[in-house]
Amino acid sequence: MSSETALIDIESDFMRSPEKVMRLDRMGSSFPTRLSFMRSLIRRMSQENWQFKRIISNIDKDGYGVSVYSAITPKRTYSLIAFTQEIPADMRTDRVIAEVWDATFSLFDGVPTQEDIDYLAKNTPLQEGGRYRPSELVLARANKSLRVFENIINALASGNQPDIELISSVGYLMRTTAVYGSGKFGCADREKIADRPECSGPFQIELLAVYLIRWFTIDLVEELARVRGGEQAVRLDQNISRFIGVGNSTGLGMAPFLLKHPTLIHNWVVAKETALARVRSIETALPRTLEVFLKSLLQVSQHIDEWNVDDEAQSARINCLTDEIQALRMWCEDESNIFRPYPWNGIYQYVEDNFSLECQEMIVSLIIEPHGSIVDDLADTMSTAKIPKFKAAMSLSQLKEVVADAYKWATTIDFSLEESQHHFWYYSEDKLEPRFGSRGVDEGVDQEMPLAIGRDVHDLNEVLARTDEDMPIGEFVMIYPQFRHIIRRIQNTFERPYSEVQDNLLSESMRPLDLLRFKLAFFGASKFDPKSDLWTRISMYQGAPLPEQVQDPNHDCWSFPIAGRSQSYPCINCSCQKAI
Amino acid sequence: MPKSDLTISLNEVLFYFTRAGFGVNAPIGVSEDFARSNIWAAQNGFDPCECSLSALDHLDHKKSSLSIKFEKDNQISHLFCPEDKVLSSLEASVSCIDWIEFNGLEGKLKISNVDCPFLVIAALGANQCFGVKASWIDQDNHFYEVNFVDDTKWEIISTSKAPIESSHYADIYISSLDSNNTEVPNGKTQTFDIKNEKLEVLNNGVKVGEKWPKIYEYFSRCLVKSSAESRASGAGAGLVDTD
Repeated sequence: MSSETALIDIESDFMRSPEKVMRLDRMGSSFPTRLSFMRSLIRRMSQENWQFKRIISNIDKDGYGVSVYSAITPKRTYSLIAFTQEIPADMRTDRVIAEVWDATFSLFDGVPTQEDIDYLAKNTPLQEGGRYRPSELVLARANKSLRVFENIINALASGNQPDIELISSVGYLMRTTAVYGSGKFGCADREKIADRPECSGPFQIELLAVYLIRWFTIDLVEELARVRGGEQAVRLDQNISRFIGVGNSTGLGMAPFLLKHPTLIHNWVVAKETALARVRSIETALPRTLEVFLKSLLQVSQHIDEWNVDDEAQSARINCLTDEIQALRMWCEDESNIFRPYPWNGIYQYVEDNFSLECQEMIVSLIIEPHGSIVDDLADTMSTAKIPKFKAAMSLSQLKEVVADAYKWATTIDFSLEESQHHFWYYSEDKLEPRFGSRGVDEGVDQEMPLAIGRDVHDLNEVLARTDEDMPIGEFVMIYPQFRHIIRRIQNTFERPYSEVQDNLLSESMRPLDLLRFKLAFFGASKFDPKSDLWTRISMYQGAPLPEQVQDPNHDCWSFPIAGRSQSYPCINCSCQKAI
Repeated sequence: MPKSDLTISLNEVLFYFTRAGFGVNAPIGVSEDFARSNIWAAQNGFDPCECSLSALDHLDHKKSSLSIKFEKDNQISHLFCPEDKVLSSLEASVSCIDWIEFNGLEGKLKISNVDCPFLVIAALGANQCFGVKASWIDQDNHFYEVNFVDDTKWEIISTSKAPIESSHYADIYISSLDSNNTEVPNGKTQTFDIKNEKLEVLNNGVKVGEKWPKIYEYFSRCLVKSSAESRASGAGAGLVDTD
């Protein structure tokens, strides 16, 4: 490791501060990076030469029945069991409260027996209404994209490739509406699999399930085209099938997760920020990295052109991003701007000083991208099993200092104003669907989820101000047990400064969408398509290699993909060296 | 889910027990620790509902209290409820762990009149308090001693044939473990292998019995009734997606 790749300290000048990074507006502008969990999973698949097999396909002419797809890793096999059924169109909904789905899935730990399949046939289609065992790792479901699914089957059945523009406008054949792991509904606890190398990163087993679901959807349309078209049917062109991702519709459920796992969030963010800091601290650009970056700007312009959404606010942001990337390309044409010491820091700084958050975060992703050799190790640091502990031995004076240093954003909010406490979060009795209510309008304030971090810190701070600093914290919480949880959070933030969202999550202007996009970007999702401030659709694995392609030299070249074509610039992270 | 005799996951223990605690008005921070204690109990092969339901019932019926005070004389530290009630084991647990965190194992701690002593034991286990001994004589005059030997094993020494989780109302004494000296005359020893017990639960799940529906009922108090309006707008998404 050269001096350029030394681990960056959190105090480094090149490291962005928590105050800058952990704000909702920036979080809501996130893009996937090469550290995103889907990217690291695909790299592992390739490095370990995973094999993939469809071991059961028992479907009728309409595609209804059961199929099993296995991923065979060096030590274990994981199997996706897919159940498909006909459902009434008016019951097709992305919401948690749905009762039926076109396809339902369980990811099984190993190869299922017929007995296992029979058991799951009675449970998996019920989703939250079924019960699962520690042999099941993931539970998921998906609905067809009605715009695309039949269209592709018809095209392939008649011997033609489907309309790439139509595919580009949607991006997937099916859209998942929930992917549950980690002990949900009786499935295996995370701890059962956490020590397995292939499961050690965050959400790897859930994203393996999604990867197999994507393969299943592509296999299903090709199979149905063959049934309908007979000999004249064709398979999808490989560049088109690789461009087909799997959709996802994400709602409020992700927001409580983020807030309840501060230690994990710190690890995600500090890994990404360390990667950025490592790149910014490079004095002389590594060979060919600048060339790759400049070409990636061209590709990303095309990618943005294909990112079309109905949401007006996001649409305006995309338009702005288009102009800014164009302006950046022109700025980069002046070689004196980039061929100079610390070129990456110069590029980053120029973008931060001149362009929108959306553009800043895209450039973060793009400048990290050519530096796999110096950042990919950080993917191994993003998981954690640590649970924040309450530290009774901390002094009240130290607690006060941490509040003053790390929670100024909270202590300066005026919570007596209605707009500061406009919203509250709650679980509905309707399938435990998380919902976002308005105080004074909706019922349920008394059952508010404990996610009012800013308000709780604010209240604690007021009590601390009138409490003797010599009082031990253990004694303080005997008098004020209501502050135990928030003190634990504050103590965690003292050790892990990137763990807290530094905005008021109750305010009238708060958009849960920002939290969703932040988390989804870490997963590796793209083409964020907000449907309101509370939920969004996305594409996953768009551009990623299909099972028969994971050994291809370009298996890692799928950042910001474009319709129907491979990456359009030479890659320096793998051996493909491909250029069109 | 409100059915009895289910197999649930450890994550479900965390989810439901945290909110069950909240359901009887325990502060969320105390409820989180309560749930962690229940995970430890489940990991060691116990039905977490057995002990915890009593503790929740006591709080719900105001038979126990979360109020607690600390006093210390030369010989012993003392945690007790200043009200004329038994001390809730939810609060006794967290205060006991705080005392150990603050004092180490210097001296002896007495926790008076605790409703469900096993919850304090579960908290000690969940917080990996090794080298600790807890002992008590309960209302039925049964003698219990629990020794947290190291990170591989712990043991119960008892004069009772009744399950430890059904032991109620006792003054608990916490001190450092002197493994050669048990205070239980003619007690039977039951040893737990921490790693194997946990593995068993990870592979087979947590069995919960007839008390589970009542735990679920306490959990359900955190749920908000759904109205046509909240159903339509509370989650942001529409009710039908036909595209």
